[in-house]
Amino acid sequence: MNEGQEQPRRRKIALLWGIVGIVAAVSAVLTLLLSRKSAETVVEIESGGEVLYTIDLRQTPDTRLNIPAPNGSYNIVCVEDGEIFVSEAGCPDKTCVRMGPLRADAMPIVCLPNRLVVRFQKGD
Amino acid sequence: MAKKTPIRELTRLSLLTAVALILWVVEEAFPPPVPAIPGLKLGLSNVVTVYAVFAFSPAKAALLVTARVLLSALISANPSALLYSACGSVFCLAGMLSLRKILTVKQMPLLSVLGALLFQCGQVLCAALTAGSFAPVVYLPPLLLWGALAGLVTGICARAVVHFTEKNRL
Repeated sequence: MNEGQEQPRRRKIALLWGIVGIVAAVSAVLTLLLSRKSAETVVEIESGGEVLYTIDLRQTPDTRLNIPAPNGSYNIVCVEDGEIFVSEAGCPDKTCVRMGPLRADAMPIVCLPNRLVVRFQKGD
Repeated sequence: MAKKTPIRELTRLSLLTAVALILWVVEEAFPPPVPAIPGLKLGLSNVVTVYAVFAFSPAKAALLVTARVLLSALISANPSALLYSACGSVFCLAGMLSLRKILTVKQMPLLSVLGALLFQCGQVLCAALTAGSFAPVVYLPPLLLWGALAGLVTGICARAVVHFTEKNRL
């Protein structure tokens, strides 16, 4: 490749690296902001778009809730030591189980196939 | 196809598809690196995709990725995650093929990172569309951050593969 073509090509490569750097930096900041632990303790369990349970994690003894899904499947939601997590799921994904306990406001526990959402109640 | 694919090239494509599929299966067998973020994985089969983008014509690279996605559907136990990653793969491939012209083998890691970022965008977009809400978008920042790192690693691997095959005239 001759000099005349090489120069703009290099500039494009530098630009692309720059874009990657900016995206990575912005993502890092947003990740930190979004994954901050919630100050809220009241949790809502929603299934198929309807709130089934509203529970305060501080005042609830250890519980196991079987949440039936609109598609006939189920999820088992557990409250233990002030933490809430999905312990079992009838779907093949198990993504919600692997997600572990609920921590951040912005990141609810979601089971997409069973339309289950476990999230902190929006603070006033 | 009007023009016949030479047997040598066809064999290499099939072999690479098998390699990509094996990498994919091996990766599925391991627990996810950060379980709190759904959809986050190393993306080892990206090594093969990046290599194919450089080693073959765009149509053949696309053929390889399509074959891998379809075959992985047969062995996957996780249909929705598969749908998202298939969508991500399409984005990744389209982006890499369009950037291929201005990048050389030296810039393979850059191409791989850009591909990984596009993969994550495609994956989140697909999840948002199927869920009918913007909720999955909160996972985009951690996925992009991870994608940039994992893409860099897989890109460096793919470049090493090219250097190796050239040195040994494979």
